[in-house]
Parts: sequence; C-alpha cells; structure tokens
Amino acid sequence: MGMFVFLPLILPLTAWPVARLAEQHLHPRTATRLLTGLAAAMATCSSVSLGLLMVVGTAQLPGNPLPDGWSDPAVRAAVPYDGIAGRLAVPTLLAVVAACARTGWRHRRTRRRAHRALAGLPTTEAAVLPDDVPYAYALPGGTRNRIVVTTALLSHLEPAERRALFAHERAHLTARHHRFLLTVRLAAHANPFLYPLRTAVAYTTERWADEEAAAAVGSRRTVARAIGRAALVSHRTTPPPALAGLTGFAAPGPVPRRVAALLDPAPLARRWPSLFTAVGMAAWTATAGTAVSAMSSANSALNLALVLHAATPL
Amino acid sequence: MTNRREGPRRRAQGELEGLVLEALGEADGPASAGWVQERLGGGLAYTTVITILTRLLAKGAVTRERSGRSFAWTPVADQAGLAAHRMRKVLDGESDREAVLASFVTSLEPEDERLLRELVLGTEPDTKGTD
Repeated sequence: MGMFVFLPLILPLTAWPVARLAEQHLHPRTATRLLTGLAAAMATCSSVSLGLLMVVGTAQLPGNPLPDGWSDPAVRAAVPYDGIAGRLAVPTLLAVVAACARTGWRHRRTRRRAHRALAGLPTTEAAVLPDDVPYAYALPGGTRNRIVVTTALLSHLEPAERRALFAHERAHLTARHHRFLLTVRLAAHANPFLYPLRTAVAYTTERWADEEAAAAVGSRRTVARAIGRAALVSHRTTPPPALAGLTGFAAPGPVPRRVAALLDPAPLARRWPSLFTAVGMAAWTATAGTAVSAMSSANSALNLALVLHAATPL
Repeated sequence: MTNRREGPRRRAQGELEGLVLEALGEADGPASAGWVQERLGGGLAYTTVITILTRLLAKGAVTRERSGRSFAWTPVADQAGLAAHRMRKVLDGESDREAVLASFVTSLEPEDERLLRELVLGTEPDTKGTD
C-alpha cells in the first residue's frame, strides 16, 4: 500500500476551495448536500486509513490480541515509516472515536432534555414560551418536531415576519438539517482538515431554510427583515456571546451575509456547476480529491488484507 | 436503555409540578400546602407536596409568605412559564447545542450590527407599502 495509505489523511484539503466558494455560488440546497457528502466520504476514508495504520502499529506492541503473523516484516514493510506512523495512529484513532462518541451522546442528551422541558405544554407544533430572552429554535424529535419561540422575540416581529420565522424553522425540520449538521460535525472530528466544511454547512443550511421561508411567505424582503430584527433584538439583550464559535474573521458574520443574500435575487437551482467557472473547478477538484481518497483507502485496505491473509498461519 | 426508563419518571415529575401549579391557580389568594394536597387528592403525601412546592419556589414559579406556623403559597408562573424556565436551563447548560437546535439567528460581531442596521433600514420603506 506504500504511501497511498497516507493520502486520505491529507486529501480533505482539496475540499477547501469548494467550501469557500459553494456558499456564494451554489444554491444552498445543492451546496449543503454536496459539502456534507464530501465531508462524509472523506472522513470515512481518512478513518479507514487510520485503522489500517493502527493494525500495523499495534502488531508491534507486545501482548496485542492480534495474530503473531501480523507483526511479520512483510506487513511492516507495507507501510513506510511504520514505526512512527503506527504508534501515532493508535492514540489518534482512539481520540477520533472518543470525540465522535461524545458528540453523538451530547446530541441525544440535548434533544432529550429540550423535549422534557416542553413536557406538560399542549402538543402543538409551535411552543411559545413566556420568556424575556428572545430566541427561536427548531427542535427535531422524530414524530413530534417542534418549534420553540419566546414571546420576547415574537413581540418584536410583525405578523408577516413571524410567518417567515416559523417557515424558516419548519424548513429546518422538514429537510432534517440536524442530520447534515451532525454529519459534518462528526466528519470534522474524524479529520480536522474538514473543519471548513462544517462551518460552510452550518451557513448553507441556514440559507437553505431562508430560501424555503422566502418561497413560503412569498417575499424575500420579509424574511430578510425578520432575520435582521431578530438578530438585533437578540444582540441587544445578550451582550457577551460566550457560546459563539470561532468566527473572528474580518469578513462580515453569517447574519448580515444571509440578509444580503435575501435582498439579492433568488439563486438558481442548477444541479451541477459548469467546469469552466471558479466554483465548478473547485467542486470538481473536491470530487476528484474524494475519488482519489476513496481509491487510496480501498487500495490500501485490499493490499493490507492480502498481506495479512498471507501472513496469518491458518 | 436507561434513557427509556428514565424518561417517563422525569416527565411525571414535571407533570406533578404542573398539577400543583394548576391547583394553586384555582385558589383565591395564597393557599397552604395542606389545601393543595386536599385539592389534588390522588394519594399524594404531604411531604411530596412540600417538596414540589419548594422546587417550584426555587424555579421562581411560586412565592410563599409565613402565615402562622406554616407557609401560604401563591403561584407566579403557569405551565408555559415553567417550561420556559426549564428550556432556559437546557440552553444555558449545553455549550454545543448548535447541532441539535438550529437557532434562527447566530450572534453578531460588533461590525455586523452596523451593517445589519443599514440592510434592514434599507428594506423599511417597503413595509409601509405592503403591511
């Protein structure tokens, strides 16, 4: 398998250009699906590679549960720098598994707690909570999806803007955006190079819901105004955004970009960009990267399987 | 598996709080814990009612004042208020909730506020025509 086993670990870098360009040049629905698909595929290949390296790595450890034949020189020769790489792969893979398990567990816990908090209220789709902190959330829950809004936020919106808000949250729920968000989160844990895709998908899902809301309400300006008002009201009442992620770039934050996008004409729902545009090039680069990544990890897995099969005394 | 077992029990607790609040709401003025217990019937122990009332007090859903040797309780919040309180606790407790709860708006950078005001103000004249 040689150097091929290392390729899937660094090929996620080929997705960076498309992560940057997709949010401006593709329809948010296409961008979300494309970026999530790329992230999932690359994360899987990267984890397979780590697993293969780990097999070779652990084979050298005394007292491992693997067959003795696996520490054969022929197996070790299959990986360049097998000593260092193998030893590094073990803790790395353990860290990846731990981070993913933690995220998955927290995801379920938050969902369960939020649903429990709403117990006792009428089981309508929208739960309006009397609270002077303005916020709105889409809470996925299988059979009972819910939209949680506080009276403080609703009181700052006009009727049409309230409809826009509900349409936006409903779009999150019907398109199951939480699954895309969870996928890219897990992918970013599996390979930190995929982090830009996570940020990009967090934005494109919001844009997707904005576009759905604009279609439902029939006015892009109403949705833009609802987002703007809600953001300004939330900003005034919650001064330190302690929970905010790392968004400290010079470029404007996601909210003004969403509003600006809504004030522009609706994006075209083209299925796949042409190769002769910047975003087309970027998309094809990422696709090629994913394909090479998949082939490398498949090739390495097959090679190692053959070597191990030959080395295993049966 | 533990979640499934834990779920109904916890929810029953929340429902009990709701029932006590409801009973208090039906009283004219402050009511004693004994009155609430009588009102609810259903074999609730006096100490259980006291426990629930104390929990509601901690959540700011009821107030109490001394009357004689015991307390008289008055409701402040209703079911929805209680749910709002619980939801706030969930939101404050979860540091990475973005994956589950897609929020309507994320936080703003200082520069964003100015930009946003310009953008939103730009749309205002449109409101007068349509609304």
